[in-house]
Order: sequence, then structure tokens, then C-alpha cells
Amino acid sequence: MAEYSCLIVEDSPMMRQLLVFALARVKNLRVTEADDGVDGLRKLASARYDIILTDINMPIMDGLKLVKRVRSDPVHKETPIVIITTEGSQEDRQRAMQLGANAYITKPIQAPQVIATVKELLKI
Amino acid sequence: MASDKSGSSDPPPTDLKKERDEVLQQFAKGTRISEEFIHEHERMQSRLRELETENAGLRAKVEADDAIRDLLAKIDQLEAEKQDLLSRYREAEAESSQWGERFQEVEGQFADLANLFVASNQIHSSLSPRGVTRRLKEVLAQLVGAEKYGVYLCNPDQSELVPIASEGVLGDELTPVSAKGGPIGEVLRTGAAHIDEEVDASKGTIARPPAIIPLNIDDRIVGVIAIFATLEQKSKFTSVDFELFKLLGQHAATALVSASMFAHAERQIPGLEAFRDLSV
Repeated sequence: MAEYSCLIVEDSPMMRQLLVFALARVKNLRVTEADDGVDGLRKLASARYDIILTDINMPIMDGLKLVKRVRSDPVHKETPIVIITTEGSQEDRQRAMQLGANAYITKPIQAPQVIATVKELLKI
Repeated sequence: MASDKSGSSDPPPTDLKKERDEVLQQFAKGTRISEEFIHEHERMQSRLRELETENAGLRAKVEADDAIRDLLAKIDQLEAEKQDLLSRYREAEAESSQWGERFQEVEGQFADLANLFVASNQIHSSLSPRGVTRRLKEVLAQLVGAEKYGVYLCNPDQSELVPIASEGVLGDELTPVSAKGGPIGEVLRTGAAHIDEEVDASKGTIARPPAIIPLNIDDRIVGVIAIFATLEQKSKFTSVDFELFKLLGQHAATALVSASMFAHAERQIPGLEAFRDLSV
């Protein structure tokens, strides 16, 4: 059975813990955590990921900058990106989608919604 | 010699001629009868063939009728089997649907438990008052979806609640609150959480907070968390929020007070004598 890899880019350890718990419900999904956008890019440079979940508001490099960088990376330019954020306005959503995000989930998260989105984007 | 020749061609006597004619007539009659018999035989054979053909056709028809009867019986049997299978399928489908619903329910409960575990784990993962407060704020923002809120503690004589932490509100908007009036004071007096389900939680105000949760240490109320407004995408509280409120009510004050005492003790872990005679 195919194994998938997921990168969570989130500065809040609590949210990372919660997302790891939620994604443990997805079979054959290996999860890696990054503290912020820069840490995320470092991890993306050293391995190939099948899906990326990122927050927007993070120190050092925010999620939207990360999306732009990922979309210009030949290895990950097609990798699905899920934005998970407290920013619930339509403008924020549109901006993220225009930059190349594939899905947009607002906090507080509902684990079943995160699981369903990840499964849908990975087509599993 | 001539007499021999003429002797052989003498006409037959009359009686012989008559007899011959009779024989010839009989023979002709026999021939006619034989021809008739032959003709009748041929007709009979033809009729026999016709009857055989007809018989074969009838036999085939009867056989076909039997086959149709068998087929109809088979159709009835298959129809009954189909109904049975459909009934079993419907039962299985209903059962599967029930299992699906149950699965969703369990998944939801699992997610709620994960939220509660993470919240509890975070609140108790620091022994500095600042660390506990930061984690408490994170639980409120990330798990409850609170955008504007204040954390209040009681003064020693329980007459007033003093804000010790807040988010989304200006410092001068938060002032000490009297224990005698308003919804916050009422929560302190009654010890019961206040949840205003009539108001859109994202449009709450300091004057009308959608949720106020008492903070307890054992049975004593030592403060409250007042949520003034939630994020715009969250208009009302869900069942897991109520569980989180209970958890915060029971754990937040304990974590804050423990961290505060630990800080006052200059982060010294008490000696073993503090833990003696604890067995009950």
C-alpha cells in the first residue's frame, strides 16, 4: 500500500499536536512538523512531501510566502497545500487560493474536516 | 403338316372362352382393387407422415409448454430469491448506515477527546505563570476560537475581579469588575457558567459576553474567563466547547496558582518531607 508524507507548518505546538492527532486517523500518512515557514522550506528542500498543511500567521516567514515559494519549487509545485488559519474573511481565502493553495480551513479546526480534506487531495 | 398348323389355331370352345373372359375380368378387377389398395396404402402412408409430423409438433408444443412451466417456476423461485436478497441488502444497508453514523459519531468523539487532551496537556506543561497564561490563551484562541477575551482573578476578599490577561481588547477597556454586579459578578456569586446562546458569539461585547466560565480550585471560585467575542467564522459554541469550558474551569486556575507558587518558591521543588504521609 502506498505511503504518503505530510508536512505541517505551524508555529503553535498545540495546533501541531492537534493536527498530528487528527492525521493519525489517515492510514499510511507519515507526518513531519515544522515551526514556521523557513523551517518548512528547509524540510521541503531535504525531502519530497505529498501534501503540505500550513498556518498563515507565523513568525519569520508566514504561510502565504511559503505557498508562493512552494509553487516556484520544481519538486513541490504540484503538491497540494491546505491553509489552516484563524483568518476567516473571504479576501484572505481568495488571496490564499490565488497564490496556489488547494484548500482553506479556518480555526478552530474540526478534525473530521481536516481528515476529509487531506484524503480528498491525496485521492485516498 | 397343314393339319397340325390349322389344328393349333382352332378357336377355344365357347365355355373356355367364357371362362377366360371371366378370369380376365377377375384379373382386371383384381388389378383395379390392387391399384386401389396401392393408392389407399400410399394415401395412408401420406396421412401417417402427416400425423407423425403433427404429432411431433404437438409433442414439441407440450414439451415447450413444460419448459415454459419450468421457466415460470424458475422465475418465481428467482423472484423470491431476489426479494430475499433485496430484503437482506436493505437490512445490510440499514446496518451499514447505522455503523457509518456510529463511526462518524466515534470519530467526532475521538476528535473532541483529542481537543480536551491537548488542552489539558498544554495547560499543565508549564510551571511559569507566564507560560501557563500563554498556553491558556492559545487554548482559547485555537481550540475555542475566542477572538476577544479576558482572564480575571478574584482579589483576596472576593469583592472584585481583576483582569490578569486578555486578547483582542485594549488595556483600558478592561477594568476590575465588581463581584456584586453584571454577568461576570453573577458567575462569581453563583459559580455557574454563563452561556448566552441567543447572541451571535462572534458579535458579543464586553458588556454582553457570550460566555463566562468560572475558574475553580476545589470548590472555591477564584476567577473567571470571559469570552467577549469569537472569530467571525464561529457564531455559536458547540458541545466540545462546553467540555473545554469545564476543563478550563477545573484546570486553568490550578495550573496558574501552582505555577505562581512554584515561581514564589524560586522554582525550588519541595523536599521529600512535603510528600510524606500522603497515602490514604
